[in-house]
Amino acid sequence: MNLIADTWFQVGRHIRTQVRMPVWIMINLIQPIIWLVLFTQVFKSLSQMPGLGGVSYLQFFAPGVVVMTVMFGSAWSGMGMLQDIDMGILSKMMATPVTRVSIILSRVIASMAVLLIQALIILTIAVIMGVDIATGVGGVLLTILLVCLLGLGFASFSNGLALLLRRPEPLIGIINFAALPMMFLSSTMMPADMLPGWLDTVRHFNPVDYAVVGVRGLVLEGYIWSDLWRSFAVLVAWAVAGTAFGTLMFRRRAE
Amino acid sequence: MSIIQTHGLTKVFPGDIRAVDGIDFEVNAGEVFGFLGPNGAGKTTTIKMLNTLIQPTSGTAVVTGFDIRKNPAEVRKRIGYVGQDIGVDEYGTGRENLALYGHLYRLDSRTIKERIRELFDLVDLAGYEDKIVSTYSGGMRKRLDIAMGLIHRPELMFLDEPTVGLDPQTRVHIWDYIRDLAKAMGVTIFLTTHYMDEADQLCDRIGIIDLGKIMTMGTPAELKQSIHGDVVTLSPCAAKEDECQEFIRRTESALSGKPFVHGTQATNGQLAVYVDNGESAVPSIMRLLSDAGIEVKTISVSRPSLDDVFLKYTGRTIRAGEGKATTYAEIQRKRSRRPQ
Repeated sequence: MNLIADTWFQVGRHIRTQVRMPVWIMINLIQPIIWLVLFTQVFKSLSQMPGLGGVSYLQFFAPGVVVMTVMFGSAWSGMGMLQDIDMGILSKMMATPVTRVSIILSRVIASMAVLLIQALIILTIAVIMGVDIATGVGGVLLTILLVCLLGLGFASFSNGLALLLRRPEPLIGIINFAALPMMFLSSTMMPADMLPGWLDTVRHFNPVDYAVVGVRGLVLEGYIWSDLWRSFAVLVAWAVAGTAFGTLMFRRRAE
Repeated sequence: MSIIQTHGLTKVFPGDIRAVDGIDFEVNAGEVFGFLGPNGAGKTTTIKMLNTLIQPTSGTAVVTGFDIRKNPAEVRKRIGYVGQDIGVDEYGTGRENLALYGHLYRLDSRTIKERIRELFDLVDLAGYEDKIVSTYSGGMRKRLDIAMGLIHRPELMFLDEPTVGLDPQTRVHIWDYIRDLAKAMGVTIFLTTHYMDEADQLCDRIGIIDLGKIMTMGTPAELKQSIHGDVVTLSPCAAKEDECQEFIRRTESALSGKPFVHGTQATNGQLAVYVDNGESAVPSIMRLLSDAGIEVKTISVSRPSLDDVFLKYTGRTIRAGEGKATTYAEIQRKRSRRPQ
C-alpha cells in the first residue's frame, strides 16, 4: 500500500511540473503535427506506389507519428531524474521512508500519462485530417495499450541511463544517437516490403517497429490477431526489460 | 541518554580513500552537536552514513535507538535531513513541497495541513505557502528546506552545512531558526560546518574532524581552555614563501625550550606561539628574536578562539582550504605527510 501511495503523490508532483511548462507541452504537440503535415506533403506522390496498397500516405504514416511522439517523449524522461540528482532532491528523498521503487515508477507513470494525452490528441487530429480508423474505439484502446508498453520501456531505460551516467550530456547524446535510427530502422515511414532486405531483417529487432506494425494494422486493416499478439509479446518483453534495467540502476545508486 | 553512538564507523571509497576512519563518538539527546572541519574532512560522509544514505565500509552506529545497518527503515522514520544542496522542488509551491514530504512520512492529510501552518510560521515563511519556489530567495529556500526536514517531528535532525553559500545576514537568521527549533521542538541537532563562528554560536558540543578522524571533542569553552593562556601571532617582514619558511624555522628554534612557551604552530607564513600570558611574553619574545637577529613585521596577542583550537589539533587554519574543492588526491597527500 505504501508503494501505491508514495507513487501516487510523486506522480502528482511530476505531472504538475510538466503542466506548469506549457511551452514544453505545446512543442511536443506541435512537432508531431508538423511531421504529420510535412511528411504527408513531401511523400504525397508515394500514394501511387504499389507498396501502400492504395491508401494515402497520411493514412499510412499517421500511426507512425503516434508511435514516434510516445517514443521521443518517453526517451527524455530521465532528464527530470538527473535534475533531481543535481539539485539534491533525490538524496533528500532517499533519507525519508519512501519506498525506493516509487521514485522511478512515479517518473515513468507521469511521463506516460502526459504522452497518452498527446497521443490521443494526435489521433484526433489525424481523424480530422481524414484518417479512417478501421477498428474504431476498440482499436484506439489497443493503440494506447501498445504505445504505453513502448513508452514504459523507453522511459525506464532513460531513467536507468540517467542513474548510470549521472550527467545530462551523455544521456542527451545517447537519446539523439538511438532515437532517429530506431525510427528509420523500422517500417514507420516506408512499407516493410519496400525496405531493402537487410533493413527488413533489422526491423525485427526493433521494438518501435512492433508498435508501428500493431497500430498500423488497427488503423488500416482491422484486428490482425497474429500481428497483434506478436506486437504485444515483444512490447511486454521490452517494457519488462526496461523496468528491470531502471530498477537495477536505481538499486545500484541507492547501494 | 545518547541518540547517536558510533562504533568504529568507517567509509573507504574506491581507490583506498579512507574518508571516515574508524570514528567513535556519542551525541546526547537534546543537544546541538557540531561537526567542525574543513572541506573534505569527512563531515558529509559521516552524516550520509548516519542518515542511511550510504553504507559504512565497516563499523556501525546506533541512531535513535536503531542500528543503521540492520534497521535503516526505522532510522529514516525518526530523523530529518537537510543536505548541503537545497533539495526543494523549484517548480512546486512551498505548500506542495511540504505536503509531499508529509505524505512520504505517511502523515494523514489533516496533520499535514496543521503542520504546514505551524512550520511556515516557525521558519517565517507565512504568506508564501502558495508561491512557486523558484520565486523564493536563497535564504527562503533554505528555510523551506529545513521545514521539510521537520514535518514528521523527527527526534534528530541532520543539517549538513546549513548556511553555506548564504549571505551573512541570512546566516544569522538561519542560526536563530536552528536555535528556536532545538528549543521549541526539543529536536536533537547534528550539524556540520566549516564556520568557526557558527559552531561557537550554536553548538553545545563540538567535535573537530579532519582527514576522517576526530581530533578532539568538547564544549566550545572546554576546547578553548584546552589552549592554555594566550596566542601570540608573529608575522615576518618577508613576503616570499621560502623566506617565510626560513623565518618560521629560525623563530621556532629561538623560542624552543623556553619555559613560557607551550608550543608553536606555523600557518600561512605566520607563526602562532602559545604562551601563559601574552602581555608579559611579548617583551621576552622580542628580546629573544632580536638577539637572534630575526626581524618581525607584526606581533599580536589574542585570547584563543576556536580557530586556534582548530589550528592546534589539525595544524592548519580552517580557512586555508575554503572555497577550493579538496580532491581525494590532496587528502591522500596530506594523510601521508601526517606522522602516524
